[in-house]
Amino acid sequence: MATILAKFLLLLFTISICNAVTIPTPISDSHRSAALQLFHGSSSSLEETYEALRVFEILALENKPDVSAATCQNVVENLGSSSSLKDLFYALKVNGILKCKVDRAVFQGTASRLKATVNDASTLVDIYYTIGSLVLIKDQAPNVDMLLADADGTFHSIKALSQSDGRWRYSSDNPESSTYAAGLALEALAGVISLASSEIDQSRVNTVKSDILKLFDSIQKYDDGTFYFDEKFGGGREHQGSLSTTSSVVRGVTSFAAVTSGKIDLPGDKVLGLAKFFLGIGVPGSAKDFFNQVESLALLESKRVPIPLVLSLPATVYSLSKKDQLKVTVNTVLGSAAPPLTVKLVRAFHTDAKGSAVIEGKELQYDQSRGLHVLSVFPDNVDVGTYVFVFEIVLHDSGSENDYAIGGQIHVPIYVTGIVKVSNAEIAVLDSDLGSDETQKTLDLAGTDVVSLSANHLQKSRFSFQLTTPHGRAFKPRQVLLKLRHETKYEHIFVVRNTGKKFEIILDFLGLVDKFYYLSGRYDFELTVGDAVMENSFLRPLGHLELDLPEAPEKAARLPPLPVDPYSRYGPKAEIGHLFRAPEKRPPQNVSLAFLILTLLPFIGFLVGLLRLGVNFKNFPSSAVPATYAILFQLGVAAVLLLYVLFWLKLDLFTTLKALGFLGAFLLFVGHRILSHLASTSAKLKSA
Amino acid sequence: MAKLIFVFLTLIPILCNSFTPEKTSDRRILVLLDDFAVKSSHSLFFKSLQSRGFDLDFKLADDPKIALQRYGQYLYDALVLFSPTIERFGGSIDAAAILDFVDSGHDLIVAADNNASDLIREIATECGVDFDEDTSAVVVDHSGYAVSATEGDHTLIASDDFIKSDVILGSKKIEAPVLFQGIGHSLNPSNSLVLKVLSASPTAFSANPKSKLTSPPSLLGSSISLVSVIQARNNARILISGSLSVFSNRFFNSGVQKAGSPTKHDKSGNEQFFTELSKWVLHERGHLKAVNVQHHKVGETNEPSIYRINDDLEYSVEIYEWSGKSWEPYVADDVQVQFYMMSPYVLKTLSNDKKGRFFTSFKVPDVYGVFQFKVEYDRLGYTSLSLSKQIPVRPFRHNEYERFIPAAYPYYGAAFSMMAGFFVFSAVHLYNK
Repeated sequence: MATILAKFLLLLFTISICNAVTIPTPISDSHRSAALQLFHGSSSSLEETYEALRVFEILALENKPDVSAATCQNVVENLGSSSSLKDLFYALKVNGILKCKVDRAVFQGTASRLKATVNDASTLVDIYYTIGSLVLIKDQAPNVDMLLADADGTFHSIKALSQSDGRWRYSSDNPESSTYAAGLALEALAGVISLASSEIDQSRVNTVKSDILKLFDSIQKYDDGTFYFDEKFGGGREHQGSLSTTSSVVRGVTSFAAVTSGKIDLPGDKVLGLAKFFLGIGVPGSAKDFFNQVESLALLESKRVPIPLVLSLPATVYSLSKKDQLKVTVNTVLGSAAPPLTVKLVRAFHTDAKGSAVIEGKELQYDQSRGLHVLSVFPDNVDVGTYVFVFEIVLHDSGSENDYAIGGQIHVPIYVTGIVKVSNAEIAVLDSDLGSDETQKTLDLAGTDVVSLSANHLQKSRFSFQLTTPHGRAFKPRQVLLKLRHETKYEHIFVVRNTGKKFEIILDFLGLVDKFYYLSGRYDFELTVGDAVMENSFLRPLGHLELDLPEAPEKAARLPPLPVDPYSRYGPKAEIGHLFRAPEKRPPQNVSLAFLILTLLPFIGFLVGLLRLGVNFKNFPSSAVPATYAILFQLGVAAVLLLYVLFWLKLDLFTTLKALGFLGAFLLFVGHRILSHLASTSAKLKSA
Repeated sequence: MAKLIFVFLTLIPILCNSFTPEKTSDRRILVLLDDFAVKSSHSLFFKSLQSRGFDLDFKLADDPKIALQRYGQYLYDALVLFSPTIERFGGSIDAAAILDFVDSGHDLIVAADNNASDLIREIATECGVDFDEDTSAVVVDHSGYAVSATEGDHTLIASDDFIKSDVILGSKKIEAPVLFQGIGHSLNPSNSLVLKVLSASPTAFSANPKSKLTSPPSLLGSSISLVSVIQARNNARILISGSLSVFSNRFFNSGVQKAGSPTKHDKSGNEQFFTELSKWVLHERGHLKAVNVQHHKVGETNEPSIYRINDDLEYSVEIYEWSGKSWEPYVADDVQVQFYMMSPYVLKTLSNDKKGRFFTSFKVPDVYGVFQFKVEYDRLGYTSLSLSKQIPVRPFRHNEYERFIPAAYPYYGAAFSMMAGFFVFSAVHLYNK
């Protein structure tokens, strides 16, 4: 698990934080502004308050928020009451920075309370807080009697928790060992030594020192020389990240180193590696991480272990056209000045030719005013390209070498950039390989002119140009791509290869018809030349070519689908209105009315005719009963006709038929009566 | 014991809450990391999520205890995969589980990186995003790189080719380019759900920065997508980025100057870009709902069960957009309604009153059958609305035709004069002597 985690970390720090250049830079102003952002508001717990105050103290921030009044009150409350060990510990730590007014009696009371519990404490964390608090009281109230009577016993009880690999257990009944706990234990042991009324047995101190060295054997390492401690996964307890684990160890080791007289033989490269680890994190986003990082760096700088010196370059990209200087700074991790020293450029070589150095054994000049080591001019044989510069730090005072961790040779990748000259660009359409040069056109690639050509599938097209470095050498950029884009937006990419300075590509259309999907028409040329060290990388349209290709055979591959423009896929659709059936054509109303009158004319003629014939109603029955039937019959006929009129005006078929049924029956009856009456009268008349 | 069971049963609904826009509290996000250091190095991004009310649950990706669901209920509303190198998730999570999570309407944010594992690539491929198959390739741009004194290999790109969509990226224009360092991907052209949000410039290509190009790179120019989003058909949203560091505090706070551009921005566009994008992905923007679909004849208020051909009708629908806190009236002038039977007979753009109500009126076509009112609203970045309501249309009844046609008066006149003539004739014929 730890190795997987280490791999993750490696990836994370090398890629997302340190990027290509793995030289971390010391703590700078960006840290300071980030600190003000992170630790701005009121902290909820004393632990957070302490972390904020400590960070402000280390970074020597001027305009830090003033919280002392409220915090001091909190501190005094915590000291007076029987608060938990942890709160007490952090209250004392805060007090150490803020120097609140606390009665000596309070310290005395707290101290005696703590001393009483020191031997009862069973877990490492409790011992850590107790001893830590006592040490803090000793510092803050020197006249309080703090000395531990049974220092040896306490020392032994802590040491009893240590494991053979240098790690510690949290408590005697927990078999899990932890690197984080080792840091706590070392700090507690350092406290016990400083609190001891009598000297602690030196042999015991020495075993702890060898424990520390064992602990450093389990240190984890990245390829770039970064060292860190990592916690193996443990059940139960909260998992500590590698940052808090490493910083716990650093805290423990430095405090232990501070109280012991003999030296702890820590290798300088590991101390430097630890410094690199902390710096490599960059600016952490969480307050806890920020505190761990800054405090550990401050402890590494506190002269108890070799002080790491960090060599950093403000810039690793140098432009020949701007005549940049190579600048190197050497600082301590917190960004303060290093002791007098010389930076030597041991060697510089091109990444493609590792054997042959372009610069060898050169000392950088120290610019006092800016605090920079400067290589004022690049030698002439440094052309554009990527180089590795190898630096070495040489301290002026050779006696202080053990006080500083400077590391060995430092490899720094340097990009030397410049303007590459582009010339002799020619584009031509050839009939054969040798071809006539009639269609040859020259192009100024620095300008914007374009050419237009036409060709068929039997011809070829040749495009060539030259690239030379500022020192007149051949230059081969990483990216030399010729793009042909058809009208359909389908693109074909060709890599242009070079022989020496000259880049040339011949497009044999006969061999390319398949690749071009037999698509005739306009092809746009586009040339991309780019390289990391080329300051004038460009993408430039060259012009277009009208290509006449044969018809595609049936089996030819079809053009693959092209990506659709997402914007065209959305958006409103065109509105659709329904086309209604056109109403039938009708004559104007006047015409209809005129024809209505015409249709009424025969009826009028009929009436006139009847009058002219001299109709009479003499046959109308004279007796009462037949006359009634005759009237009813005529009324019935009129009713039927009126029903028809009503049918037209408003009634529907069903009502009409119903009414017609009744009327019909009625009409049948009265009609039969009147007609039989009329028939009998006329029969009587005939017989008479 | 019974008490314990009771407590447990009352806890179940609390434990199993799933995202609904109506319920703003309890929006839980599972963040899977390669290492807890990411929590600190990317804290600005996480903080912006937390400040918007999300409850982040940070877990190591290989933590054996992680789970997306328990007892068939999803524990989270969204998943953030900031673990580009993970080969196997811990617990019961695998690629299929993550896709199921998305299929059930939950959101996903995936960040890949150089050395992205096959697992992350597989998840991306399932979403229609194909990362460069060459595992050593990163996106390099020799013309559109971010000017930096310490980054010489031009893998740190300043890209300002954003998708033109206010709903995805917010209405405030992103002024500064976005810093990007990572791998590129291409989008499957047949996938219409995936969108390129941040594209590379035409000079970019995807290749190993340490070797020279000998064959054309597989990904080139502006077809390279750096950050893409997907909106699935169930409105689940996915964000896929080819870089994890784009979310980092370092990129959020870093200044940026694009090569060849004289303006130097004090702050890169990353923070704005990814904050706005995360708002979209987590449905704080662009989530629409349609309610209160109404239609009736002009001059009436009740919804009829059937329309007659040539009726004039009014149609209205209310559309609201989720703003992260409440439903706000949606304002747009491109919502369209279709009157549809096999194909649209009427397609009309709805007017709106700026209070969320969209309305129009039109005449029912003179074709009878079973029609549908259809609102198919698919806009870039918005959740799609698909409403349909069935309504039959009948022809005229026999008594609904026109009765007094002037052009037919001669016929009426002829018939009625005939009838009158018949009456006169019958009387004359019977009683004349």
